[in-house]
Amino acid sequence: MTLLDILLSGQLLFSALLLGSLYALVALGLNLVYGTMRLLNVAHGDFVMVGAYAAYGLLTLLGWSPLWAAGLVAVICALAGLCIYELLFRSLLSAQSSVTRIESNSLLLFFGLSVIVQNTMALSVTATPRGYQYLDEIYRLGGVAMTGNRLAALVVALVACGAVGLFLRFNVFGLALRAVIERPDAARVVGVNIELVHRVSFCIGFATAGIAGVLVSMMQEFSPFIGFPFTISAFIVVILGGLGNIFGGFIAAFLLGALETYGVALTSPNLSSVLLYGVFVMALVLFPQGLVAHRATR
Amino acid sequence: MRTYVGNWVYAAALAASLAVMGSVQAKEPPVRIGFSMAQTGMLAQATPSQLNTYMLWKDVVNARGGLDIGGGKRRPIEFVHYDDQSRPDEAVRIYEKLITDDKVDLLLAPWGTPFHIAVAPVLEKYKFPMVGNTAASVAVRRMKPGYIWFTTSAIPDKIGPALTAMATSNGVKSVAVINNVLPYTKELKTFLMPALKAAHVEVKVDEEYPPDIKDMTSLLTRIVQAKPDAVLALAYPSDSVLYAKQARELNVQAGFQFVAIGPSDVPFRKAIGDAANGIVTIGHWVPTRPEWKGAKEFYDRYVKRYHVEPDFLNSDLAWMSCQILEQAVAKVGLDKAKIRDTIAHDTFDTINGKVKFDGVQNIITPTAFLQIQHGKLQLVWPKSIATSQFEPKKGW
Repeated sequence: MTLLDILLSGQLLFSALLLGSLYALVALGLNLVYGTMRLLNVAHGDFVMVGAYAAYGLLTLLGWSPLWAAGLVAVICALAGLCIYELLFRSLLSAQSSVTRIESNSLLLFFGLSVIVQNTMALSVTATPRGYQYLDEIYRLGGVAMTGNRLAALVVALVACGAVGLFLRFNVFGLALRAVIERPDAARVVGVNIELVHRVSFCIGFATAGIAGVLVSMMQEFSPFIGFPFTISAFIVVILGGLGNIFGGFIAAFLLGALETYGVALTSPNLSSVLLYGVFVMALVLFPQGLVAHRATR
Repeated sequence: MRTYVGNWVYAAALAASLAVMGSVQAKEPPVRIGFSMAQTGMLAQATPSQLNTYMLWKDVVNARGGLDIGGGKRRPIEFVHYDDQSRPDEAVRIYEKLITDDKVDLLLAPWGTPFHIAVAPVLEKYKFPMVGNTAASVAVRRMKPGYIWFTTSAIPDKIGPALTAMATSNGVKSVAVINNVLPYTKELKTFLMPALKAAHVEVKVDEEYPPDIKDMTSLLTRIVQAKPDAVLALAYPSDSVLYAKQARELNVQAGFQFVAIGPSDVPFRKAIGDAANGIVTIGHWVPTRPEWKGAKEFYDRYVKRYHVEPDFLNSDLAWMSCQILEQAVAKVGLDKAKIRDTIAHDTFDTINGKVKFDGVQNIITPTAFLQIQHGKLQLVWPKSIATSQFEPKKGW
C-alpha cells in the first residue's frame, strides 16, 4: 500500500475510530476517578473484564441482547464502584491525606483489588476463554466492510463518551464535578458536596468500564485476565491527555487509535509498542502536562 | 437347639469378619498423585481442558475400583494439586513439595512447555518419573532423557515441513505468514520458513505481531492485497479469534487458511460459528478412528460431564499421559525405577493409538493437522490417519 492508499483507506479509518472510541470510553472512568480523587485505579481494566462476563452471563443465561444488557451491566458496575468507594476509599479521602499519600495508597489498594477480582473470576467461572456471536452481519459502505458488532461498539462508545461529555459541560452537577477536578479547594468553599461528587465519579467511572467490557465481549474472546492491557492503554491515554483532563483524554484516545492503526499500516505490527511508547515518551518530554494542558492542579 | 444357636453364632462371626475385611479394603490407602496447574494468573485460561481431563480420569479409574497397582490390587486415586499461579518457578517449588513433603506416589504434568522444562531438573534430582503432555518445543529434545517424556507430535521442527507438504499437495504456491511473537509460534516460524523456501513456495507477506494485538485491520489489508493461496496464521487462542473475526470482515479469500492454536478447542468455534469451517489447525487426534481404542468413550464421557467437547489437542495429550502412567503402574506397581524403565521401553495403547518413546519423544504418533468441517474437527493430514479429505475454505 502506498502512503496515499493508507491515508485514504476507509477501512483503516473505521478501525482507528473504533479503537480510539474504545480507548476513550475505558480511559474516561480512570480519568474521572483520578481527576476528582487522585486515586490511581490500576484495577480499572478488570472492571472492563467484569463487564464482559456480565454481558456473557446475561446473554447465555437469560438470553439478553448485549446491547440491551449494557444498561444493567453499567448499573451493576456502578454499584460495585460505590461499594468499593465506601469500603476502601472513603476513610482514606476523608482523612485529608496528602495527594502523594492518596496516590500511593490507592495504587496498592487497587493492585490488591485487581488480583482479587481476576482470581475470584477465574476460580468462580473458570479461566476458559469465552466468546459469542452477536451482530455478526457484515455491512459494506463504499469500500469499507464493517461487522455489525464493531459498528455497534463504535456507536455505543461514541454515544457514551458524548453523553458523559455533555453531562460534564452542561449539567449543574457535571459542572460541580469538573470544578472538583480543576479547583477542588474552591469547589469545597462554594459548597459543592465533595463526597457526593466522589461517589458519582466512582459510579460513572465503573459504569463506563462495564459498558466498555460489554462492547469488548461482542468483538473478541475474553478471559479473567484481559484487563491489564486495557488498564495500560487507559493510563497512556490519561497521561497523554493530561491527568484529570476529561476532554484532553478524548483527544488522546483518538490519537492513540490513529497511531496504532496507521502506524502499524506504515511500518509493522511488531513495531506498534515501539511507536506507542516512543510517541508517549516524546509527548511527555515536549508536553509534560499532557497534550491538552490542564489549567489547574491540586 | 444348641446346634441352632451355634449356627447363628457362627454366621454372626462370619458376617462380622467379612465386615471387618470390607472396612479394611475400603480403608486401603489412596494412591496420591500430585501436580501443579495454572489456575490463576495469565496462563490460567489455557489450562481448564487439561485439568478437566485429569479430574475425569481420576473419577473413571476410581469408578473401576481404583488404580491397578499390579498383582490384582487396586487403590483409589487421590489428587494433591496446587495452583502454580502461571509461574514456572512456583511450579518448581510445588513439585519439590509434592515429592519431599506431600510424599505423593505419582506425578502428573503441569500445563505448558516452560513448566515442563522448569520441573524436569526436580524429577531428575529425585529420580521421579513423569509423563509430560502439553509441551511442544525442540527444546524438550535437548533435555536429558530419563524421568520425563513428551506425548505430543506437534513439535515445531516436524510441523514446519509437514504443514508445507500439506499446503503444496493442495496446490498452494504462495503464502502469507503472520505470527504472534510468543515462543511457540516463533519457533514454529523458524522451521516453517526454510521448509517453504525449500518447496519453492512464494512468501508474499511475512509479518510478526505482538501478543496484545487488538486490531488486525492493517495486517489483513496487506494480505487481501497480496492475494496469497494460503494464509498461515501462527496464532495463540485469543489472537486466533481476532484473526478469524477480522479475516471474515475483510473477506480474506485464501482457500487454505491455517490457524495454529485455538481452533482445536470449543471456545474458538463458539466465537466464530460457521465461519470457522475450513480452518486448518494443529492436532493429531479425533474420537472417531475406530482403531484408537477408548477414544470415543473418552469423548462421550468428557461431553457428558462438562457439556462441551474436549480440546482435541490438550485434552487428548493429558488423557494419553494418564493412560501411559496407568499402564506402567499396572505392570510394575509404584516403584519409581521400574515405572521409569517401563515407560522408557514399553509400547502403550492410548486413545491416540500406540505410543513408544525414544529418549523423551513419542516416535509413533505422526505430526498431523485437523480441519473444521461442518462444525466438527476432522483429521485431514497425513492421509494414513485422515478421517476426511481437506476441503478448500470457501469464504467466510
